[in-house]
Order: sequence, then structure tokens, then C-alpha cells
Amino acid sequence: MAVEAQPLWYKDAIIYQLHVRTFCDSNNDGIGDFTGLLQKLDYLQELGINTIWLLPFFPSPLRDDGYDIADYTSVHPNYGTLDEFRAFLTAAHERGIRIIIELVANHTSDQHPWFQEARSSTNNPKRDWYVWSDTDDKYKEVRIIFLDTELSNWAWDPVSKSYYWHRFFSHQPDLNWDNPAVFEAMWGVMQFWLDMGVDGFRLDAIPYLIEREGTNGENLPETHAILRELRRLLDKQYPGKMLLAEANQWPADVRAYFGDGDEFHMAFHFPLMPRMFMAVRLEDRKPIIEILEQTPQIPDSCQWCIFLRNHDELTLEMVTDVERDYMYDEYAKDKQMRINLGIRRRLAPMMENDRRRIELLTGMLMSMPGTPIIYYGDEIGMGDNVYLGDRNGVRTPMQWNGGWNAGFSGADPERLYSAVISNPVYGYAAINVESQRRTQHSLLAWMKQIIHVRDSTPIFSRGSIEFLRPSNHRVLAYVRCYENKQVLVVNNLSSTAQAVELDLQDYKGSIPIEMFGGNLFPRIGDASYLLTLAPYQFFWFRLRRI
Amino acid sequence: MVEEILLADDFVRQLMSVGEVDVLVGIPSFNNALTIANTVQAVEQSFQLGFARQRVVLVAVDGGSGDGTRDVVMNARTEKSSSGRGLTSLRTEQRVVTQYANAPSAGLALRTILAAADLLRAKACAVVSPATPNVTTAWITNLLEPVYRDKFDFVAPLYNRHKYDGLLSRNLLYPMSRSVFGQGIRELHPSELGFSGRLASHCLGQDVWNQGDIQDAPEIWMALTAISSDFKCCQAFLGTKERGTAGTAPDIVTAVRQNVGSLFWCLDADENFWMQRATPEAVPSFGPQSELTTEPMNLNRQRIYELFRSGVQDLGPILETILASDTMAEIRSVTAQSEEKCRFSGELWARTLFDFAASHHHAVLNRDHLIQALVPLYRGRIHSFLVEHQDSTAQQMEADTENLCVQFEKQKPYLVERWKAKA
Repeated sequence: MAVEAQPLWYKDAIIYQLHVRTFCDSNNDGIGDFTGLLQKLDYLQELGINTIWLLPFFPSPLRDDGYDIADYTSVHPNYGTLDEFRAFLTAAHERGIRIIIELVANHTSDQHPWFQEARSSTNNPKRDWYVWSDTDDKYKEVRIIFLDTELSNWAWDPVSKSYYWHRFFSHQPDLNWDNPAVFEAMWGVMQFWLDMGVDGFRLDAIPYLIEREGTNGENLPETHAILRELRRLLDKQYPGKMLLAEANQWPADVRAYFGDGDEFHMAFHFPLMPRMFMAVRLEDRKPIIEILEQTPQIPDSCQWCIFLRNHDELTLEMVTDVERDYMYDEYAKDKQMRINLGIRRRLAPMMENDRRRIELLTGMLMSMPGTPIIYYGDEIGMGDNVYLGDRNGVRTPMQWNGGWNAGFSGADPERLYSAVISNPVYGYAAINVESQRRTQHSLLAWMKQIIHVRDSTPIFSRGSIEFLRPSNHRVLAYVRCYENKQVLVVNNLSSTAQAVELDLQDYKGSIPIEMFGGNLFPRIGDASYLLTLAPYQFFWFRLRRI
Repeated sequence: MVEEILLADDFVRQLMSVGEVDVLVGIPSFNNALTIANTVQAVEQSFQLGFARQRVVLVAVDGGSGDGTRDVVMNARTEKSSSGRGLTSLRTEQRVVTQYANAPSAGLALRTILAAADLLRAKACAVVSPATPNVTTAWITNLLEPVYRDKFDFVAPLYNRHKYDGLLSRNLLYPMSRSVFGQGIRELHPSELGFSGRLASHCLGQDVWNQGDIQDAPEIWMALTAISSDFKCCQAFLGTKERGTAGTAPDIVTAVRQNVGSLFWCLDADENFWMQRATPEAVPSFGPQSELTTEPMNLNRQRIYELFRSGVQDLGPILETILASDTMAEIRSVTAQSEEKCRFSGELWARTLFDFAASHHHAVLNRDHLIQALVPLYRGRIHSFLVEHQDSTAQQMEADTENLCVQFEKQKPYLVERWKAKA
């Protein structure tokens, strides 16, 4: 098996997100590496995913978990070498798995040679590669993103005795994208990895590339112009490769990043994610329907990326104040669980280890329009450690078995880059791949099954969505359609059994076939279609006319 | 055989879809198309502002309106609080509309709302009248919060009124219920009230819903049941009570019949309770004290006086059957006085009402006729009230109301004695 050339492959992708550091340590230094990751490709292939999104693995002082890059075209020695990365890439492609890597385009580490040169002198040729000012008065309307740690978007550089602009940590100076040399340099970086064979890039922090006085410094027209040019070059020289935008904005603002199909291929749908959690807690479909109704149409060649959790905090930037307070009160009662404007917990603990709710949310993830992303470890229900700093509590070692270091590494436990989760509920003795492989009805087994079912039809990846609005607001029901085929999805968001009557007149005469078991349900007739659902249960029905 | 009252199928179906709620607000309606949209909006805005996280429902129960009231309710649009992104409340806003009967009935309307509260296991409930033109978001919140947050079971409203408004409450319902039942609820027959799901279930379970006496003023029964069944009661200030459309208030005969009929029925039903009740208790109040406004108002005092005198004369033999002889004698001497000097004292009024209550209990004559016979005497009392308070300040009137209540409380043993005596 190998990756097939297919221009819209990203629409059919099921993405697995991981950091190489967390996955498998092959040389027993306590840190995951590419050789170890290569060893686990069979596991990922068996799981059923077809794309891996790698978090940053570049040389870096690691003050922001690798998003502070000191060298764009190498591999951090902790994780291996370029050759080992190439070997991993080849092995992944042989298994039909595509690889997306990060492109942190907005900023570098202050340890990057570019910045070291830029700060050395105001006359240095690379001076203008960053955004400098003699005062910290400019761009006053721009918000601070890392509220817990930063007081300003300007930092004083004692070396060059001036201020430099940073939208994130102060050790991550923003690149000056108004400078064509920066554009050329970053395109060169992209070419480096594309020539090696990577399949796409997730562009980090993309709304912030350009700043202008009197604006909020986000989503500016000049930023879009840059991105269109990058895309033009990509399509011309590397057809079939993909760009994924990280733009934590309202759907209407993210829409611009698709352009007319000439900017990004994909973008994350950030506002949907907290509302999925909200809907399950409220036992009310309203938050989901409301945000999806506001989501604009995107070009046919484009796709939303949807997810439940990731390496960052569960962001609550794109919710109302009432919604944020609700989410904090319901999901992050302990203030230790909160960071910036978000919640730093994993899926399973947020669902209180309730298998039914984990399945329900995963079912919605797999059935809503968009390319789904599974965060590593969520397929087995891994827990978190909110007492680790920053967002490291959701970046702990993968739990492979109940043995030494959870099978992640042969190193002394004290040497691990992070302690393994070890409490009786989520610890590696209780939650690990090996145990769940041996259990027919484990969460891992179920995840494989749902991925397989989703993959069995293009309806989920390519289809439209039409919401049904039964009078029972605790039921979220919708029909996915593609090429005259339909799938009916019915989700009980409630902790109690529910009855729901669906208006399926448009599908009268069709037979609903439940997709996990293949069983026939009564043909749709004239009357409302009555279904009863157990707590948190969901159904996927293929509607068959026969 | 008592006729069974069942909820309409469609109503039950709608309730099924709503499921369990935390807060329920009921609106009983009949031909209120002109005003009900405002009420609906006030309710839903109170949900958004005060109960954003709670499961809420608005239940509109209609008595067969012919002016499109139900459609107005379904189509009323509430202005959403702005998030700038079209995002509104956390939860689905639930609105249930049903027609409970082909003709309006206050008792049946209230029962339908109580049934909804019981089936949906609502924690806090309120009833709001669509005929009150100035109902606001704050009114509804003030009725619900003492129940939802402070765990009271019954919330009666307090209003700012004109000094000549609410005379039936001030002169009859309030002093009588306070002295007899031991808790002073100023508005015993309110058009807005709050109650707990617990009280709703309790009231719903009582075998009273076929009783004609309480059908027109079931709120009086509910309030007195709350007191006699040891539920926690309080009062909450709402605002100025504006009058509804001219001509919609019942005439004095109907008003007396409905309210006093319900009150006397409750005296019969709860005699074991109030006979034992000695010292009155204060009822907690929330919000600012209610105020009286004292702007000039034209009332035909002369006419009221003449109806009082002629009524006493015409109904003399009937009144002699109802009243104790000395009460009757004293009333006759009052009617002999001139209009300026005519005074129906508080002490006499208390004895009069207690005589009526006892005679009602003993059914000395047809009970409906008995209550109607109270009307001219009520006019006499009102006439005295108007004379005494034509120049009174709000403070003086409140002091007088308190004195009246004290008079009633002093006379309670008299009521007990007459109640127990053979007819």
C-alpha cells in the first residue's frame, strides 16, 4: 500500500495528531523519537487513520514546546536526525499514511540565527526580518494572546536597545512578513520539506502575520495576499500538497482563509469544538446548531478540520462570556485546569471517564462535516495531569502497556521528558494500548470500528449536512448527503433515555440500515419516525431505497 | 360522579419534548392578542438575563380565544441579548401553547399550569397575566428568584398602587386572611405569583378542581393552602400595578362574589388549621416596600353611600338572618347617619365579616345569595374608607390598614365562637 495521488485526499483524511517526543522512545533517553515513531506505524495503520500531523520537531530551546523554532530545516537531536525522519516518512507512505508537519510562520525563537543577526545591529541585513520599534506604543489595538504570562506584545531587547514585536511569548519574536526576504526564506523552508516528500503543512498562528496601525493586527488583507502567493507557488510546483490554517477566529473570519479556493485547503473550525462539549453538558443541541448555521459555505475544494482536543488548551476565545463561564464551571472547576482563555484537560477526564460520552462526542466528530482529528491517546482514553506547567498536562507519554514506563521508554523513569500518568483511574496500568488490544469491547476496539465505518463511505467526508429539528431538543439529528446517497445521524445528548419523532418525509420509502450492525429498521412512511435512544446513544443509518 | 379532567394530547406531547425543567412560567390567556406579545417577551428576556443556564419553559394556556392569541404567542419574537455574533442563550428556548378549554376558567387555567409544572418537575414557577400592560423582565425574576434561590414555596406580589386601588384586598382579603390564617399576604388574589414545584404538586393533588367556589379565584385558595399546609411564603415587590384595558375589571358584585366565595370556602376547608392558629407571623418581603400614590381621583362617594343605605334597607330581612343582632343594629344606626358623618368602623366591619363567614359555614341560606348580600355592606365600608382617607398620606393609610388588621385579630375569638355555635 502506498499513498495514492489524489488531489482532494485531505477531504477523506482521518488525521492523528501527535508530538514525536510523546510517542515512543527507541534509544532510551526518555524522549520519543522518529525511530520509535516508525516502530508504531503499524499500530496507527491498524487504528485506521491515514494522516499524521506532527507537532514541531525542529531544533528549538523548547520554551514553547517546540513552537519556538531555532532552525527550520533540521530535526531536533532529541528526536533523531533528518535521515531518521526520512525513513519514517517513507515508512508512513508505504502504509498509505500521509504526513503533515508544522510551519510556524509567524515567529521564530529568539535563538534562531536570523534573530541573533537581526538584533546584533540596526544595520544588519536581517534587521528588517523582524518588527522593531523605538517605543512600545504602536499597534495599541492588538490583543494579548498569552494573557497568563505576557503583559505586552512588545519586548525590550537589551542587545539592540529597541523593542521587538511578539504576539506570543516574548522569546518568540514575530517575523516581518512585509519584507519579501522573509517570504522567500519561508518558501525555501517549505520547499525543503516538500522536496523530501511531506504532504502538507499546518501553518501556525496565521492571522497574525501582518500588523498595521489602527487595526487589531488580525486577518488583514495583506496577510491574505501573502497566503495566496504561497498557495500559488505550492500548486504550481507541488500539486496535491495541502495547507491547513490555524486561525482561531469566528467562522465568518476564517472563511476568508479559503479565498476562492486559492488560499488554504483546510482550516480548523475552532468555535464548533467547545460547543460540542457544551451541548453534551447542557443536554441541548442549540450550541452546535447555532454555530454551524453561522458557518459560511466554503469552496468545493476546501474542507473544515474538526477536533475535540489537541495539544493546546481547549480554547474558549471564540465563545460568549456566558458560555465561557459555563464551560469553566462545568469542566474546569479547579482553577488549576484553566490556562489563558481555555481548559487544559484531555477528553476522557472532561467526560469523567464516561465511556458513553466519549463515544458520543467521538461519534459526532466522525459524522459532522469536516476532516476529523484524533489527538494521540484519546483513542484509549488517556488522562491528564493539570499540575504540570503550561499545557504539558495533555502532552504526557503515550501509554502502550502496563509495564516499565508504560512501554514508552526503557529509560529510568526519572529521565523521562515527562512523568507518565500513574493514578489508578487513568494511569498506564489501567489505560494502555496492550490491555485494550486484548479486550474485544475496549475503547480502542470501538475507535477502530468507528473509523472503519466512517471510512466505508465518502458521505461523511464529502457530503452536505441538513439539520432536522425534532421537538425534543436533547436530540441532535442531521442527514448527510452525497451523490444522492444519505446517512441519517441521530445523537442523544442527554444522560437519560429519550424518545424522538423525526420528520423524514423527504426520505419516505427509504429503509434505514444501522451502520455498525447492518440491521434493518422499519421503512420510513408517512408518519413521524419514532426512535428511542439510551443515554448518550447515537445512531448512524444509511438510508437505502430498495 | 366527578368528571375527570385530562390534559390535551397535544399538550402532553409538547411537554414530552420539553422534558425536565428548572423554571416554568405560565401565562393564562383569553383574548389577549393585543398585549400578550409583550408578556412573552418579558418572560423570555427574564430567562436570558436571570436564568441563562437553567432549563426553562414558557407555558401559555388559553381559554379558547377568538382573536388569535395563541398565534401571537407562537410567533412573538424576543429581542436577543447581543453577543455581536448572533449567539443567543445557552439553551433552546422552549415555548408551549395549549388550549385548555373552549371557555375561560381561572381554575382550569391554573390547574393546567400546575400540571405542566408537576410533569416537568419544575423547581420554580411563576404565573404572569397578559392583561397587565406593564409587566417587565424584573417582575418575573422577582417572582422566581425567592423560589429558585431562596427555596420559598409561594411568592405573592407587592405593587405600588393608587391609594384607592385594591380596596377589596386592603379592606377585606388582607385583614381577614391575616387575622384568621395568621400570615399577612397583601395581595391574596394576584394576577402575578410565584410558587415552587413542590407546592404545585401539592395543590394539583388536592381534590378541589371541580369545586365551583374556587374556580374564579383559585389563587386565593392556593395562597391559603400554602399557609395552612406549612409551605414557606413570602412577598416580592414588582412595581406599579397599571390597570388593564378599561372595562375588563369585574364589577363589584362579581368581584365580591369571586373573592369572598373563595375565601369562605377556604375557611371551611382549613378550619382545623386556623382555629389553632394564634399569633400572626410576619411574611418576609423582598425588594423595596410598596408605595401608595395619592394623586387626586374622582370617585362618586355619594352614589356609594346611597347604594349602601338602600342595600341595607332592601336586604334587611336577609341580613338579619346572617348577622348577629347587635351587629345588625349597629349597621342600621350607621345607615341613619348623613353622608359626611357615616362611619363603618373597622371593629364593626370585622364583626360583620366574621358573622358572614360563620353564617356561610352554617349555610343559613343559599351561599351565593349570602355572599351577594355582603355587597352593600362592603360599599358602606368603602364609603367610610374614602371619607377618612380623602386627604391621607400614604403613611397614614398604611397605619390605618395595620389598625384594621389589629381589629380583625382582636375579633378572631368572636369568629371562633360563632363558627362553633349551632346555626
